[in-house]
Amino acid sequence: MIEFINAGKTYPNGVVGLKNITLTIEQGEFVAIIGLSGAGKSTLIRTVNRMHDATSGKVIVDGIDVNTLKGKELRKFRRKIGMIFQSFNLVTRATVINNVLTSDIPDMPWYRTLFGIFTKEQKMKALKALDKVGILDKAYTRCDQLSGGQQQRVALARTLNQNPSIILADEPVASLDPIMADVVMDDFKRINKEMNITIIINIHHVDLALKYANRVIGIRSGEIVYDGKSEDVNQDVLDKIYAGKEVPEMVKEVVYG
Amino acid sequence: MDKLFNKFFKPEVITLESGNSVERPRSKKILILSILFIVVYISLKVTGFNLTIIIKRSNQLTVILSQIFNPNFGYFKNVVRPLVDTVKMSLLGSIIGCLLSIPFSILASSNINKNKPILLFVRFVLSIIRSIPTLIIASVAALIFNLGTFAGTIAISIFTFGIVSKMLFESIETLDMGPFEALESFGCNKFQAFWGSCVPQVLPTYFSHCLYCFEMNIRAASILGYVGAGGLGVLINERIGWRDYNGLGMVLLSLFVLVLLIDQLSSYLRSKLG
Repeated sequence: MIEFINAGKTYPNGVVGLKNITLTIEQGEFVAIIGLSGAGKSTLIRTVNRMHDATSGKVIVDGIDVNTLKGKELRKFRRKIGMIFQSFNLVTRATVINNVLTSDIPDMPWYRTLFGIFTKEQKMKALKALDKVGILDKAYTRCDQLSGGQQQRVALARTLNQNPSIILADEPVASLDPIMADVVMDDFKRINKEMNITIIINIHHVDLALKYANRVIGIRSGEIVYDGKSEDVNQDVLDKIYAGKEVPEMVKEVVYG
Repeated sequence: MDKLFNKFFKPEVITLESGNSVERPRSKKILILSILFIVVYISLKVTGFNLTIIIKRSNQLTVILSQIFNPNFGYFKNVVRPLVDTVKMSLLGSIIGCLLSIPFSILASSNINKNKPILLFVRFVLSIIRSIPTLIIASVAALIFNLGTFAGTIAISIFTFGIVSKMLFESIETLDMGPFEALESFGCNKFQAFWGSCVPQVLPTYFSHCLYCFEMNIRAASILGYVGAGGLGVLINERIGWRDYNGLGMVLLSLFVLVLLIDQLSSYLRSKLG
């Protein structure tokens, strides 16, 4: 369970990222966060695993106050939270399986890290993770030879390999074509259902958000302006989230169609 | 600068029929050319450049060159040992220097090392090392460790260390830090994140720097003998002293072939690095 209690974030340069966020997300939910660029979506999900610090209020994950964690405790805490990035953040020069194996590094003794020695079990586990996202056949290919969609699935496999209970996804489909975006979102949905992993996803595509997520949180200038079921999202809600800016036709079709 | 220039050389104003106008700045060519001319003239005066000496003594050049280009092949048996010494010196020196450069270049990369004082200190030390010419390092090393190849090896290690550290930390700084962020996000500490994400990215570049440095070191090692640090330089110095330009020609020819071979090998290896 993730709880935000009056959480706020002000950057050192004075920019306010989040204001007074109070929010509870239960284990196993699939939450989409929508809003304009710069509204605070990324800041919100990054305060969950402390890639960013909340400057006021509390963020509590599974009973642990995230802001009190330091060094080793923080790293141990991060083990159960996966993160997916818009730009995949893979080591493109390495093979797919080696990328997946990087998520075992935190638990390895330093000398094995130094020489990159992974055990047979670790390799089998990594292959299983790749099988789950359907790209087992690419395991020994170099990452830079894969398409964007395949690379994002490698990133997803890397995250699954760490056995997380929460996955944070920061614009995971923003650099993918519509077909691949659907495929990757399907993966997310399946993982959410089969493994009961909480998924919090930042997304610009309102249609995808409504199609896949159970719950939608709308953010505008660092504040929550909508929090409810995805079925209840209508034009008024979108107007509120996107500050009255015109919502494209395609989205309207999804909402009203 | 531009403002100052425009103050002295007023831009030309072009007015169109519509009444709108635009300012065309004056060309700087004449100013630059005249400054260049003055600088060249001063340099000629200061260095005491004398054209007549060049013309008078140029025949001597052809005498020496013709002897050099007519190498004494029988002398080759004396060249072999110093030649091998040169390769050994530069190979061992390059390996030591390249290995030593890894920890220091990590400390000198601003994207990995967030501790400003340490960063600046390491960079300061590196730039001092780089600013000392190899010959000076070699002559000091020869004083400390006696004349011979060991001094040369030490000199080359230090020189390589300075260069490769600089090249490596610059490559580290231009790395894509996305994977680093990803590794930190699932619980790696800084070292683990660096080793898991940055090393695979930078390794080919690092090897290429090392090979390039090895190429340079072969050339550097061949003159280190001048200050008593062993290798081909000793022979070159000696042959010039004896005015044995045919022998010198043989030494230079061997060096040329060696450098050519190493260059080819090294660029072949570098092309294989992805």
